[in-house]
Amino acid sequence: MSPNLIEWREEFRLGLPEVDEEHRGLIDAINRLHRELMVGAAIVRVTGAIGDIHAAIASHFALEEKEMAALRYDGYLAHKTDHERLLDEILDILDEVVATDRYDPAALSARLSAWFVEHFRTHDARLHHWLVGRQGQADQLLS
Amino acid sequence: MSLRSLLRAPFDWLDRLCARAFPPDWNPMVQLGAIGWFMFWIVAVSGVYLYIFFDTGIRGTWQSVEAITRNQWWAGGVMRSLHRYASDALVVLALLHMLREWSMDRMRGNHWFAWATGVPLLLFVYVCGITGYWLVWDLRAQYVAVQTTALLDLLPIFGEPIGRNFVDQASVSDRFFTLMAFIHIAAPLLMLLFMWIHIARHARARTNPARGLGVVMLLVLVALSLAHPALSGPPADLDRIPPTVALDWFYLPAFPLIDRWGGAAVWALSLGLLALLLLMPWLPPRRTPPAARVDLANCNGCARCFADCPFGAITMAPRSDGRPYAQEALVNADQCMACGLCTGSCPTATPMRSAPDFFAGIELPDRPLSALRLEMQQAAARLSGDARVIVIACGSGADIAGCAAEGVATIRLPCVAMLPPSFIDYVVSRGLADGVLLAGCAPGDCYHRLGDRWTEERIEGKRDPWLRERVPRERVAVSWVARADSRRRAADVAAFRARLRTLPAIARGIRHGLAPATRAIRRSWPKPLQWTAWVALFGALAFGTGALASWPAWRVLGPEQAVISLSLRHVAKTRIECKPLTPEELIKLKPNMRRQVGCPRERWPVYVELLRDGQPLYQGEHAPAGLWNDGPSTVLERIVVPQGLQTLTVRLRDSGRKAGFDYEQEIPADLAAAQNFVIEFRADRGFVYH
Repeated sequence: MSPNLIEWREEFRLGLPEVDEEHRGLIDAINRLHRELMVGAAIVRVTGAIGDIHAAIASHFALEEKEMAALRYDGYLAHKTDHERLLDEILDILDEVVATDRYDPAALSARLSAWFVEHFRTHDARLHHWLVGRQGQADQLLS
Repeated sequence: MSLRSLLRAPFDWLDRLCARAFPPDWNPMVQLGAIGWFMFWIVAVSGVYLYIFFDTGIRGTWQSVEAITRNQWWAGGVMRSLHRYASDALVVLALLHMLREWSMDRMRGNHWFAWATGVPLLLFVYVCGITGYWLVWDLRAQYVAVQTTALLDLLPIFGEPIGRNFVDQASVSDRFFTLMAFIHIAAPLLMLLFMWIHIARHARARTNPARGLGVVMLLVLVALSLAHPALSGPPADLDRIPPTVALDWFYLPAFPLIDRWGGAAVWALSLGLLALLLLMPWLPPRRTPPAARVDLANCNGCARCFADCPFGAITMAPRSDGRPYAQEALVNADQCMACGLCTGSCPTATPMRSAPDFFAGIELPDRPLSALRLEMQQAAARLSGDARVIVIACGSGADIAGCAAEGVATIRLPCVAMLPPSFIDYVVSRGLADGVLLAGCAPGDCYHRLGDRWTEERIEGKRDPWLRERVPRERVAVSWVARADSRRRAADVAAFRARLRTLPAIARGIRHGLAPATRAIRRSWPKPLQWTAWVALFGALAFGTGALASWPAWRVLGPEQAVISLSLRHVAKTRIECKPLTPEELIKLKPNMRRQVGCPRERWPVYVELLRDGQPLYQGEHAPAGLWNDGPSTVLERIVVPQGLQTLTVRLRDSGRKAGFDYEQEIPADLAAAQNFVIEFRADRGFVYH
């Protein structure tokens, strides 16, 4: 069994190099946290790691939104709204650990995985298809 | 007590008054510059209209202005009055704007640019105004023309005194009016260019006042134009001196000083004042705190700081550290005001991070976020009792000493918008306090320009980064009050705490939604009082503008006085007579320059004396013009004398003789009051007078 919670897959690739690079970094950060959870890391390490993921993903979303706005992506608003929802959720997860001062490793890992992957499957996938379609149109025009 | 603090007191009073009397959008004190722009456009539009009907010829000028004013009083007349009163308002607004920025110390350090480019704007305003008054060609214009040329003739830039163009009715030419009209049109265009440079370092510079306020100001000017229309005086008559002149004291206050002190003193005063104004940002210099610093390890080039910087100090540059990003933020230290608004916009600026000494993508070296987090934790630990509040106070805002209480902790930042919204979330969600109050400058009057606006928009989810929906907005308050209104600040804190006491405990996991922050208390006056204040303020402005545009009249001459204008242009004799050249002198010359007779070009100066009933009125020696001192000598003197019968004696020496005169004439003159008695000289006819 893989020690990673989330494995990078080609289908995660958006086609925006700097955004894809950050996706890989975020998956690495979540996998590192997962490994900490599995060995029963101290609460302060877990909350710190979630806080760092929150900062990294907030920064990542900011970059992704800048790219989407520059490309005039038609699904910008829905995508941005989901970003804001995700930022709320990661802070809820963090608050829960801080407030209860304990965590269930398996449940927390599963929640983090669902939190992250679901956005990939829906909004990022739509953006990817839009980018591919746009590239196709550009290629057609050039040929 | 410094001059700045003396200035600050009346502005503090005005700011506080206007912050209470006007709704935030309408407060004129926080948009003096924008109202100035609006006045400029009124002047420009009305000027274009007037120019269509204006005749620039010397004979038609006055009549054309009269026709515009009287034949179509309902259009041209109103336009003319708008042109004048908006110009007067522009002077008032520019001076108020300048003094207010000075009182707020917003011209030293990196603020110098707007100041140094704003001062020349004043010069343009005056050039436009003075040339405008000249164009009407009434008695006031005549006074303006004579005084202006007298002032300009003191500068060593004209070959001959340009004032001689205005010695008498016959000497004025159409050419001069064409030139004046050209300057009057070119100067505003140049001024517009400088206005654009003036705001070039301000992102989202405000160049329009609130629409409603603009409409009201326009209506006030129209009402003033109808009630007290701008009119011309009698047509200019250079054969007479207007004994009194209805001066526009906004534009022409220096002219009487020329009468009293002389042109040289007015030049010295004006240039001294100009130099002082230009040097103000460095008297003494102020060190701007260290500029914001970008930490590339935490910057992915998202450009939010670039979008939020109010001073255009951040640019997005190609990546320099090899990381796989296209851009990075780059701070121009010469433009950075160290306000921290960039830090407030950075998505990595969150207190939830693990490292004790974390860095955001962009931070102020003097105010690191890791230290701010620690300060918040320590402040929260000191709080006790109920309704515990952390007040985030603007470093340039109202005094917060009056807010001190057991349940209140205050943290000062350069600007409230430096606080990233995640820090508010942190305080509320971790229970560090029961609420956060953001205490900034009056609405629309942020010391760092956009702090209040960005703060509100971030809380409302209209600008990134958003304050998370899970933070109940009734636990976040904003308190925008004038910097001198510490009493209202204390009242805001007390009102917010009272409200917090009524709230249920915070429930976790609830989305409270995006909404504006709580406004601690209502701070506007009741409507009737507001309306009264507006009528009083706008009425006073209209009355002051209308009155000072032509009153009080300036007495140029006493009731029984006349003027003698001595206006001469004469080519004196050469210093050395022509003589045949010797062979030795010829050989020294180049072949093409050799001639039989040598005539050195240099001429004698012209010495002139004027006596009245045997008593000297004027004596002066005038050097010849030209690089080789071979041109004419010119004399232009205006001397005030009593009216009545008198014997004038005028003498001239142009041959270098030590005693006696080459020309002399006795003139019996019976001068009428306000008469301009001109004495000229013609080489073929001697002295002529009229």
